[in-house]
Amino acid sequence: MNRKEFLSDCGKMGLAGVTLSLFPWLESCSPKAKLAVQGEKVRIGIIGTGSRGLFHIKHLVQMPQAEVVALCDNYRPHLDNAAQYYPEAKLYDDYRRLLENRDVQGVIIATPLYLHAPMTLAAMEAGKEVFCEKSMAYTLDEALEVYNRRKALGRVLFIGQQRLFDPKYVKAMQMIHEGVIGEVVGVRNYWYRNNNWRREVPSPELERHINWRLYSEYSRGLMTELACHQLQNGSWAMGQLPEKVMGAGSLIHWNKEDKRDVYDTVSAIFTYPNGVNMTFESIISNKHFGMGEQILGTKGTIDLVTAMHYTDEPAPKGSGMHQFIEQIERGVMSNSVFAGTSWAAESSALAPGKPIMQDVKVVSGESSVGAEADGSKELLEAFLHAVITGKQPEKVLEESYYATQFALLADKAMHENAILTLDEKYKVPYEPLK
Amino acid sequence: MKDSVITAEMKRRELKLWLVCFVIANVVNWCSIIKFATPWYEIFTQVGYVVSLSLVIYALIALARIAWWLLHYTFRK
Ligand SMILES: NC(=O)c1ccc[n+]([C@@H]2O[C@H](COP(=O)([O-])OP(=O)(O)OC[C@H]3O[C@@H](n4cnc5c(N)ncnc54)[C@H](O)[C@@H]3O)[C@@H](O)[C@H]2O)c1
Repeated sequence: MNRKEFLSDCGKMGLAGVTLSLFPWLESCSPKAKLAVQGEKVRIGIIGTGSRGLFHIKHLVQMPQAEVVALCDNYRPHLDNAAQYYPEAKLYDDYRRLLENRDVQGVIIATPLYLHAPMTLAAMEAGKEVFCEKSMAYTLDEALEVYNRRKALGRVLFIGQQRLFDPKYVKAMQMIHEGVIGEVVGVRNYWYRNNNWRREVPSPELERHINWRLYSEYSRGLMTELACHQLQNGSWAMGQLPEKVMGAGSLIHWNKEDKRDVYDTVSAIFTYPNGVNMTFESIISNKHFGMGEQILGTKGTIDLVTAMHYTDEPAPKGSGMHQFIEQIERGVMSNSVFAGTSWAAESSALAPGKPIMQDVKVVSGESSVGAEADGSKELLEAFLHAVITGKQPEKVLEESYYATQFALLADKAMHENAILTLDEKYKVPYEPLK
Repeated sequence: MKDSVITAEMKRRELKLWLVCFVIANVVNWCSIIKFATPWYEIFTQVGYVVSLSLVIYALIALARIAWWLLHYTFRK
């Protein structure tokens, strides 16, 4: 495929104007690349058919290149739900049995966090290509083991970090790399909700199985469930990794209602080698600000969630006549001022920003399952494509790896009340996405 | 009530007066271009503003004339 063809394909994906060489992992999403594997089918097994597993199934049924041949879940109602979409698929309640099925080429793992690494390792050892939901692992060591093992075995491994495939993020990052907002001087991420993050439990003994997110035995809470998506933004925008991490977490509200032990309020600061800070904050007992991801530059700001660009540069002033009339108006209307309003915050936030692209699908961040048009479908397609071609796309795994490591490190910093750096032994080769 | 007659002479006078206002408005535009260092093509692009300003000036002069006429009329009585 030549450059011109790719650009036209990008246009069809809603990525008009995006430069291929900057985003090589997206090539598989282009209609052209799809054509190259047309008629091919990937036999898929799904491990974990809860809400996210089902979300993937709803995409898979629309993809002719996917054939789901096996389903596994150790909670029968979830398995039966999934089986409705694929009545022919073999059903399992033990993932090891599914991995023995030679018919399965690739597996999608959508189970609780503590199972990600053991399941991914077992699947790769069994010769399967793997798509595992984020975060990559429950511990720093496990993530490293998964990373190294994949390399040794030469398998395809995707982690469910869909922002890399979301057209609005891709476009925004290209603009940032082209210097549209000047030098990046800050990255702000936040994710607020006002709900208890609980799922309904049919009987009390299922509490920990269904609400695994709330217990540190299975999950690292807000850092691995939410932050790991947003922590990519800093590295992607600046092409470097944080140097140190600090944070504070507490249980301030929802623990009054249940026995959860993961924080319901967290704040973390990630400092990059150039001194720039990236913040992440999450509170799940107030939703006023919703979800936000902003890259702050010396010349302006890009809001990744709303795909808006706000400039810090003074607005064009208009014609001489216009300015003259405005000056007269100001003279007539203004009150006499004795001193400047030094207390007033200087802000460009009220200036009308400009959308960075047409037809933007804004995701509120309220759903704990996932949202349509957030890159998840494209990510899944890229995985299927990689299974067919046997080629792991460049750079994406490293981004996911570090997003997980820094989410875990921040959680550790909160628990140890310390400023932490990522130990050398966890560093894997990193090539910036810019 | 008496019929009012607007003579051709009166119309010419008013037109001349408005032309003077138009010239003044243009001078204001030139001065604004110099003062705010904006491009000279605004002489043409801002013609809408210039015409509006000329009408404002003309209206202000008309108000002054009416005031003058009212005073004159009052004191003559
Ligand atoms: N990328 C995203 O945007 C996104 C969104 C939502 C969830 N997720 C991730 O997806 C994963 C699953 O989340 P979810 O919301 O679907 O949770 P869920 O609880 O709804 O589903 C998990 C499923 O795994 C099953 N399971 C548990 N232990 C198992 C075992 N030993 N063998 C087989 N099945 C087992 C459970 O029965 C359940 O059906 C999590 O890691 C979560 O972080 C990612």
